[in-house]
Amino acid sequence: MTTELQRSPNRRPLQISQLGLHLLIAFLLLLSLVPTAIMINLSFKNGLQYRWERWTLSLPLRGSNYLSAWDVIDAYMINTVLVAVVGLAGVLILSLIGGYVFARMRFPLREPLYYAIIALLMVPWVLSFIPAYMLYNNLGLLNTRWALIIPNVAGGPIFGIFLMRAFITGIPEELYESARCDGAGAWSLIWRITFPLSLPGLATLSVLNFVAEWNSFLWPLVTISDMSKQVISVGLFRLSRTTNDLVDFGSGGPLFAGYVLASIPLVVLFIVLGKFYVEGLVESGIKM
Amino acid sequence: MSSAQSTQTDSAAGGRRFWRRRTEATPLSWRAFRRSWQAYALLSPIFILLIIFVYYPPILGLVRAFFRWRPGVPATFVGLDNFVTYFTYAETPHELVNIVKLLIFGLFAGIVMPFIMAELIFFVRSAALKELYRLLVIIPMLVPGIVTVLLWQKLYDPYLGPINDLLRAMGLEHLALNWLGEHRIAIYAIMFVGFPWVWGVGTLIYLGGLGQISDSVYEAAALDGCTGVGRVLRIDIPLVLGQVRLLAILAIINAITAFQNILVLTDGGPGFSTMVPGLTMFHSAFRAQKFGYSSAIGLLLFIIAMSGTLIINRGIRPANEELRQ
Repeated sequence: MTTELQRSPNRRPLQISQLGLHLLIAFLLLLSLVPTAIMINLSFKNGLQYRWERWTLSLPLRGSNYLSAWDVIDAYMINTVLVAVVGLAGVLILSLIGGYVFARMRFPLREPLYYAIIALLMVPWVLSFIPAYMLYNNLGLLNTRWALIIPNVAGGPIFGIFLMRAFITGIPEELYESARCDGAGAWSLIWRITFPLSLPGLATLSVLNFVAEWNSFLWPLVTISDMSKQVISVGLFRLSRTTNDLVDFGSGGPLFAGYVLASIPLVVLFIVLGKFYVEGLVESGIKM
Repeated sequence: MSSAQSTQTDSAAGGRRFWRRRTEATPLSWRAFRRSWQAYALLSPIFILLIIFVYYPPILGLVRAFFRWRPGVPATFVGLDNFVTYFTYAETPHELVNIVKLLIFGLFAGIVMPFIMAELIFFVRSAALKELYRLLVIIPMLVPGIVTVLLWQKLYDPYLGPINDLLRAMGLEHLALNWLGEHRIAIYAIMFVGFPWVWGVGTLIYLGGLGQISDSVYEAAALDGCTGVGRVLRIDIPLVLGQVRLLAILAIINAITAFQNILVLTDGGPGFSTMVPGLTMFHSAFRAQKFGYSSAIGLLLFIIAMSGTLIINRGIRPANEELRQ
């Protein structure tokens, strides 16, 4: 290992073991990427191509599939973005405030209150799914966008406070002291000092939350019956059920184009927020 | 992961300090509370939302598991009837066998495969290629979860799917099955979704853990002639046990509680061959309107998942943290 570290890998001839390693990784990655590649390939096919040339690249590419797909799923996409962004704004504000209070303020019952929040991370969703449905039913919130926004705003800060508290604890105390000397209150300490310095933490939290909302399926499936308010996952599920590509080959291409369109927000988020996206994914694993 | 652990220990210490303070003096005086009104005011919106929408539902579920409960009808107490009904239901043993199968497979796909992939990438010497491979591992995760499942449904399609097209092209017509429509095969077809299970959060979590192992540990190991597979077994695995534990807990909770893929791919069919308790919970609530019965199944799943989590937490002890950077 030491000798390997000392020599530059570029000057060293590629060892057989390294070559085998690359081949094995490439093979596993290829298999992992096959469904994605098939999705993109099929999204450009017209009816005849879909019938006869499904697994090869065939020209001309039918870009208009994307227009037909957008016409069907545009409302679902816009609904999901709307619900996710409104919910996210609430989650970020509450997580920042909560994180600040638990990291920087000293008050009686601080630790028990913090644990009362963190303990909720241990409650799996199966226990609350059914009764939560009844609660939203009793409150008359079923089939409204509130049924999608409120669970996020209420539940999102649980992990958000955990994440932001750890992050805000790392901000140097001197910054707060000098601001306090200038007579800043809690509110301006949060917005003038904590907020700008905790943007990386908020970015990670945003990705985590947005991806979770974009993927949410079972809850909107049961709470939203009006398809004009429905979100993208359920929209695509219903679309896949009503599309019969075995009879109408022309409907196959647009269906897959819809799948690609539904992935675009996540791709854009990944391109814009790269490092935070990966952190968000890893944190979401820890969050469960 | 390590940062999460350190915060936990910090706050645990804070907790001890709090209790000691309480016994020493009287900081819980009315004056102390009044001086801290700002903190409570800032926390109040968070707690109001939590109490109504996060604390209340699971507590309601715990209680209503012992009731006959449906919308618009007053709930009536039935004792343990819901649990008895579930355990005497003819399909229940079959459902439990299915979650055992899903659990064993889930531990393999969730712990072993991502570890192999992470080690392979970790052994790559070129930094640029390492980055590229990590990027390619992320790409399948940029597709929404439901789309991945719907794509696999298309891959399994008996008439238009590539799996059967490939088998037919190879002259293996007799192996071209209706993967999701055959009693004995459907559950395995559901497990196979996501093959080869190396993309996903697991690989990233392991890569993070391996990256934290200090170089000096590897140098010392190399001097002792411990390289390659020997190093993986004697150094890497003990030092990523924290990650193994996390992924084991995730795999257990997922195998026991998740039913989204099954709902989409087979809806429990053909027949009852791919039914799991979670799906029965879902169906009995939203098709049969038996919300009390459904809550009881939810409670059972919670207890099983929680026991699994506790066993793993006790069973896997991560190695010494000092060997990390």
